[in-house]
Amino acid sequence: MAKDGEKSGWKEYIWNPRTREFLGRTASSWGLILLFYVVFYIFLAGLFTLTMYVMLQTLDDHKPTWQDRLSTPGMVIRPKAGEYFEIIYNTENTESWDMYTQTLDKFLAPYNSSEQALKNDECTPDQYFQQEDSGSVKNNPKRSCQFNRTILEDCSGIHDRYYGYQSGKPCIIIKLNRVIGMLPGKDGQAPFVTCGAKREDSEKIGELMYFPPNGTFNLMYYPYYGKKAQVNYSQPLVAVKFLNITQNEDVNIECKINANNIPLGSERDKFAGRVSFKLRINTK
Amino acid sequence: MARKNCLVKNLEAVETLGSTSTICSDKTGTLTQNRMTVAHMWFDNQIHEADTTEDQSGSSFDKSSLTWSSLARVAALCNRAVFKAAQDALPILKRDVAGDASESALLKCIELSCGSVKVMREKNKKVAEIPFNSTNKYQLSIHDTVEGESESSYLLVMKGAPERILDRCSTIMVQGKEQPMDEEMKEAFQNAYLELGGLGERVLGFCHVFMSEEKYPKGFAFDTDDVNFQTDNLCFVGLMSMIDPPRAAVPDAVGKCRSAGIKVIMVTGDHPITAKAIAKGVGIISEGNETVEDIAARLNIPVAQVNPRDAKACVIHGTDLKDLSQDQMDDILRNHTEIVFARTSPQQKLIIVEGCQRLGAIVAVTGDGVNDSPALKKADIGVAMGISGSDVSKQAADMILLDDNFASIVTGVEEGRLIFDNLKKSIAYTLTSNIPEITPFLFFILVNIPLPLGTITILCIDLGTDMVPAISLAYEAAESDIMKRQPRNPQRDKLVNERLISIAYGQIGMIQALGGFFAYFVIMAENGFLPSVLVGIRLNWDDRSTNDLEDSYGQQWTYEQRKIVEFTCHTAFFVSIVVVQWADVIICKTRRNSVFQQGMKNKILIFGLFEETALAAFLSYCPGMDVALRMYPLKPSWWFIAFPYSFLIFVYDEIRKLILRRNPGGWVEKETYY
Repeated sequence: MAKDGEKSGWKEYIWNPRTREFLGRTASSWGLILLFYVVFYIFLAGLFTLTMYVMLQTLDDHKPTWQDRLSTPGMVIRPKAGEYFEIIYNTENTESWDMYTQTLDKFLAPYNSSEQALKNDECTPDQYFQQEDSGSVKNNPKRSCQFNRTILEDCSGIHDRYYGYQSGKPCIIIKLNRVIGMLPGKDGQAPFVTCGAKREDSEKIGELMYFPPNGTFNLMYYPYYGKKAQVNYSQPLVAVKFLNITQNEDVNIECKINANNIPLGSERDKFAGRVSFKLRINTK
Repeated sequence: MARKNCLVKNLEAVETLGSTSTICSDKTGTLTQNRMTVAHMWFDNQIHEADTTEDQSGSSFDKSSLTWSSLARVAALCNRAVFKAAQDALPILKRDVAGDASESALLKCIELSCGSVKVMREKNKKVAEIPFNSTNKYQLSIHDTVEGESESSYLLVMKGAPERILDRCSTIMVQGKEQPMDEEMKEAFQNAYLELGGLGERVLGFCHVFMSEEKYPKGFAFDTDDVNFQTDNLCFVGLMSMIDPPRAAVPDAVGKCRSAGIKVIMVTGDHPITAKAIAKGVGIISEGNETVEDIAARLNIPVAQVNPRDAKACVIHGTDLKDLSQDQMDDILRNHTEIVFARTSPQQKLIIVEGCQRLGAIVAVTGDGVNDSPALKKADIGVAMGISGSDVSKQAADMILLDDNFASIVTGVEEGRLIFDNLKKSIAYTLTSNIPEITPFLFFILVNIPLPLGTITILCIDLGTDMVPAISLAYEAAESDIMKRQPRNPQRDKLVNERLISIAYGQIGMIQALGGFFAYFVIMAENGFLPSVLVGIRLNWDDRSTNDLEDSYGQQWTYEQRKIVEFTCHTAFFVSIVVVQWADVIICKTRRNSVFQQGMKNKILIFGLFEETALAAFLSYCPGMDVALRMYPLKPSWWFIAFPYSFLIFVYDEIRKLILRRNPGGWVEKETYY
């Protein structure tokens, strides 16, 4: 009997037929409170939108307000080494390295000479391609320099369709992250990539070849003006070919950018100014 | 509480005291001083008032009449009470007396008005005495006369029950002159006796006679066993009546309790008339309120004909209480606002307390004697007297009044109500920050943006910056009306109710969350990630292997670089919560008053505001925090991002409280006054 009383008490609380109250409120009471909340939230949403709009107005169209976090640009490799930053394949097994070559094909497709000729200009090398605005007169849209696939020579995929993977001399392409306004390498000294073995693997790494020679990023590709101003920007690349890497062994490699005005990245960030990966070429 | 001389034995008792709706108080020793004091005298056909205050601050009466000196002499001489030794330094009223209550009262009265009783007794040495016995209802003693006082050698003085004394008197002293007793005098005497008795006072009659020199010469051997001297034809001198006066602070305290909506009931083992007189004296029965007997007497009709609903006050005798059923008891308790229970036994005190509790009241019981202990234990809060209380009652009680001051109960009620109010404020403050703490995670999951607020920063709020301000709200001063409100209804008035949740979660919390999100979007945007690119970016953002994630400007970010921006956003969201909580703590100071009315006198709160800001700055800027807690230094402008929202919170709540004050009982109060 007591339980019935309790249950009917609960039921009464949810819907009380006598006073016509749902969960303790009449319909008009519900109406008022919901109306209040709707109006209140609309007001808050409006206020939020207003503040966001005001904030967005204060931002420059082409350059972010702060760039201090990008003082050391990141570096990445292509083909992507997967979650564990390792490239492992078997020279005999086409399927194991097939995806790498396909990725590289897709990645380098926009760098075909034909396409580059359409989009971009031939620039004077070894100097910054400055296209400054003069005061309020914007010099937009800005032009970009061509970067042709042919610069990568043996690693361009033109002569060797397999980028050296089949023969156990793989090509790895290295990219330096884009940072608006960055001018790497002062006094005409172009930034260049060097790759070396980490830890005890120095004997296993063998000989390396860089394309373009010395692994430099030419100064004419800088500064970057952002994707709004420089729509067809072609990011410069450096390719490194491993000529006689020890096979059937894990080799830990680290490639670094060397430039006299890029600070060393923090110890914590493994990709600021350097990139590490593991390479293992199996022959059986 | 200890500073106000209230010893609280368990702390929850103070909160219970705040919700008290009924106080059942013992009379003797709690409401009264437990000290018989001479209140009135009747001589020279006139009632005179004596000073009964504890510190002799009342008015004095005219002492010039000769009748008075005779009366004083009888009272001093026909008296076996003596002051205990070595008390000359103490004020007269505080001295210890060896003797019964009435005689002590007389002794102190005479000592106060006429000077040393000891000297008087030495002047008129006692020769013989017949002590008080309940059959005769008098006591008498015979003393030497002083040289030159009269021709007689001996003075007989007698005191006792007034009617017995009057029977033995043939003359009466008026203005120092002896006059024969006539009917007019006798009637005057009866009226005075009735009046003083009606005040609930204990009345004693005094008479004397100078024994004739011929019949009782010096050296006469008075025989007290086989009485060989006159004990009638005496000269009536006057009446003295005494009462156990109420404690000085009690009427005021009872008044305050009533205006706070608390019912005060007197429960005593003493006589109904005395109980009623004291009840009227302290305000338990207020001016103009009558019992059924009063109405019957006034309208000159039998008690049975009086409509019980007309009487708001009542005096119930213990013997009647025995015959009452539970329903009748409930009826009495419900229908009368002013109740006195007299001649009650300890069990009956308990029954009364249970009756009140059955009606849903929160009952406080005050008492000092062993007979109060069961009631003290049963009550929701038991209050015992510290000085005059028995050890049993102090054991049974939850609170002890160290200075026996009933008025401390009022302080206790005030403290209890204040604690309850401040707890609400503190809870409202703390709960509010939950919304800006949880919504970042919700949006992280639902909208797939990078996480706006991290776990460590949430902990920094809950365990770090919010601690001192939340606690400081407990020290908030009372908003003006605390003792003018009705007691809290424990069923309906909950500590945390829907209105509190509605304000904290639905209104203020939302504004705070918006402030935090605004800070998040500002920092992201200023670093290159506009809001449009953030929506849906979560999977890539959190992917360690993506180290060239593109922002809205085309720049590319490594995992660590964008994570630093994310943690900077966490820090800024945390700082934004601190900023909006400034406004929150200021508005939570008051539930009804404006902050401008309440003032910023709570020093701990001001300290809390500075401390939480300093802590936030420390967590952001201290070197090593980026490694330890992943909290990064903020650019100075970023501290001000949440200011508009903080200001909005303040303005919104001030307006809400303004509307609440202007429209009492309106929709705003119903839906938002917690």
